[in-house]
Amino acid sequence: MNETAETAETSASIEDGTAAPSPSGLGWLARSIASLPETAALLFVLVGLILYFSLASEYFFDFDNFVNIAQNSAVIGIIAMPATVLLIGGQVDLSVGSVAGLMGMTMAVATTATDAETTPYGLGVGIGLALVITVAVGLAIGAFNGFAVTKIGLNSIIVTLGGLAMFRGLTKVLGDGQTIRINGFGDLGVSRPFLDIPTPVWIFIGVSIACHLLLKYTVYGRSVYAVGANPHAARLAGIRTGRVLFIAFVLTTIATALAGLIRVSQVGSAATNGGAGFELTVVTAIILGGASLSGGRGSIAGTFLALLVLNVLENGLIQTNVPTFWIEFSEGALLIIAVSFDRLRVRLGSAE
Amino acid sequence: MSAAESAVPTAPVIATAGIRKSFGGVEVLKGVDLEARSGSVLALLGENGAGKSTLVKIIAGDYRPSAGSVLIDGEAHQVLTPIESRAAGIAMIAQEFNDAPTLSVAENIALGRLPQKRGLVQWREMNQLAQEVLESLEAEIDPKADISSLAVGERQIVEIARALSSEARVLILDEPTAALSQHEADVLFERVRRLRDQGKAIIYITHRLDEVFELSDRVQVLRDGEVALVSNTHAVDRGQLVAAMVGRYDIVTGRPEDVAGIRGDVALRWRGASSPGRFTDVNIEVRRGEVVALYGKLGSGALEIGRSAFGLEPIQSGEIEVAGEGVELAGPVDAVDRGIGFLSEDRKVGGAFATRSVGENVAVASWSQLASRGLLNSDTEKKAFDRWYDRLSIRSKGRSSQPMEELSGGNQQKVLVARWLERGAEALVLLEPTRGVDVGARADLYGVLRELAAEGAAILIVTSDHEEVVAVADRAYVAAKGSITAEVPGDEITMSLLLTQAGG
Repeated sequence: MNETAETAETSASIEDGTAAPSPSGLGWLARSIASLPETAALLFVLVGLILYFSLASEYFFDFDNFVNIAQNSAVIGIIAMPATVLLIGGQVDLSVGSVAGLMGMTMAVATTATDAETTPYGLGVGIGLALVITVAVGLAIGAFNGFAVTKIGLNSIIVTLGGLAMFRGLTKVLGDGQTIRINGFGDLGVSRPFLDIPTPVWIFIGVSIACHLLLKYTVYGRSVYAVGANPHAARLAGIRTGRVLFIAFVLTTIATALAGLIRVSQVGSAATNGGAGFELTVVTAIILGGASLSGGRGSIAGTFLALLVLNVLENGLIQTNVPTFWIEFSEGALLIIAVSFDRLRVRLGSAE
Repeated sequence: MSAAESAVPTAPVIATAGIRKSFGGVEVLKGVDLEARSGSVLALLGENGAGKSTLVKIIAGDYRPSAGSVLIDGEAHQVLTPIESRAAGIAMIAQEFNDAPTLSVAENIALGRLPQKRGLVQWREMNQLAQEVLESLEAEIDPKADISSLAVGERQIVEIARALSSEARVLILDEPTAALSQHEADVLFERVRRLRDQGKAIIYITHRLDEVFELSDRVQVLRDGEVALVSNTHAVDRGQLVAAMVGRYDIVTGRPEDVAGIRGDVALRWRGASSPGRFTDVNIEVRRGEVVALYGKLGSGALEIGRSAFGLEPIQSGEIEVAGEGVELAGPVDAVDRGIGFLSEDRKVGGAFATRSVGENVAVASWSQLASRGLLNSDTEKKAFDRWYDRLSIRSKGRSSQPMEELSGGNQQKVLVARWLERGAEALVLLEPTRGVDVGARADLYGVLRELAAEGAAILIVTSDHEEVVAVADRAYVAAKGSITAEVPGDEITMSLLLTQAGG
């Protein structure tokens, strides 16, 4: 009780000299890692993989093989780009694999004549009209997803998980469980209009650039980041958040329809399991590319590089005769390693 | 009455000696000593960033100090784990609730040590225990109710009940009244006093000077990680505390000098507006050139009235007029188009895009206006930010590219004001604009708002902080129980009048 009021500029601090940590080599390394851009790690991994496989296999470093890798990246990449936009907005579409399959099947069935035995739903229309029908169905599915999420307020994981099963089932119904052949629709998938590079690769590059510009330079793109980063604040800033997400769902489904059509064109037929598993690769690539599952973060460049990493890895492992069973394993492992690296980077950046 | 005045000086239950703590090379605590005694309330005062929360988190075992030790009953611990801290009877009630909202009150109180027999929860026993603790706090809360159904003040009581049921000897309260109504705060104070009289040691973190004098026996002020003042509360006055907190005296404590100068047209008016269950027959007018305060405690309807100007609450009868024209505001998009800017009372949830740049945060409401042929680039955002950087003296090290979350609360708030100025908003409705903002930064923000008004903006501040009304408003309205109970002209605004009008 004999305390008196004392105002001190500084307290009686204990000068024991343990306070200031000396700069260590490790600290420097931590800061350097923290200051790297998100895509640096991917670029590093990509270059490393290419170097390694070029030395390990005589078939890897070859124009035709690179075209191969690009072609494999293209179909899923066309879906992954608008799906990146959607995920930056904080939503995910798990139905893309089934929708791609359904689109291919719709196209094939529409061009096939009705036959009670093999194709009960066949329409026998021309390629042009079949395309219109397919795109219309795709638009309807995108609108359905967008409506369910933005108007009814359902969780996009649940809506599109439902879609994943629904549209796969619908694909089997349409094809009556059969693989349906399609004739005269090969140009889209296999033609090489320029520089000996197949059309799907050009489309992939075009979609990537378009999505990159969309996100970076348009009012819509900036709004997507805002809605994903903080939906409530976005609404209070006068952004029509529902409309922004609705458009992202529709864009994703249109791209998915395109990918499904390309796949059918490449193969010359639509199988009931067409596109199965696409959703996993798409989400893996987007997350590997630095997007956050909770939205507001991510880039087209990141997804693009991640797709190349995944496909170079797969191709390289095949070229070096690694048993195919290990390829799936390594892709999953790569995802976890990449995300761990990202966590580490964030933690080093914020120190402690 | 106060134990500290009557009893023999007791040895501190908890003390810290020379605590230092660095985060990534920045030292936030620079050798802090602190003592908490049984039967005594210690007010820990300081601006945001002074190190208060870091210090108590070290005591709670959440952080490990870089140097120094925590003494429990005189025994020094260099390293204290959360489990050891709890075992020593230290309980912290943090600013953010640590409860499980989907579980019942009783489950929350017993969380982590549910009464059980052979792995089965003994519900009756658990509810009984919860009932007893709640009764000891004289709280009428049903132990079986879900946490999510409780009011904020009630949730706080449940957190205290949880601390008590674990036999806490030391209770740390981190700004507990931030979200409470005046009545709830009074109830809380009463309970804190009773716990003190039962011999608990209490560390009460706050930045409200009133509470220091109302509640504490001793007061300790932290500034920039150092102890700026330690004293018996009755031996200091407000001025000394403020000086110790901010390190200077030139802080606005009185009325603004240029009250109610020019007044222009009515920019925003509520004309007999009612929203069922929220407010009734509200008449308010805000003119260009003035800062008007709408003062009301939580539950008074003040926040809801403010929200209705942004289309966030339905108006059933009466109407809202914007620039003299009766309007029906369907939502924020509508309100923005009519030239209204709005700051939510919760900056984190309803305002800031924490991970995005401050440039984006300024430009977000104006993208359509800023774009040329639908296109934007980072330069657009930089320019938008630069227009307001000096005007509002926003402190941002990386200028427009700095992530929003790295700015202080006061500067974030300025960025949000800039967002609406950039959009060309003519009427600003600001809910609790200085919640969680330092004393120094507050004065700064008030200055900016008064300047904007002087230049012709119409500003309505909705606040539960009467000091704020005194410091910034030209005129004030007082809300209680969903109605406007008084309109106070500028020369009559005093703290005591406001408190009386707002009711218990």
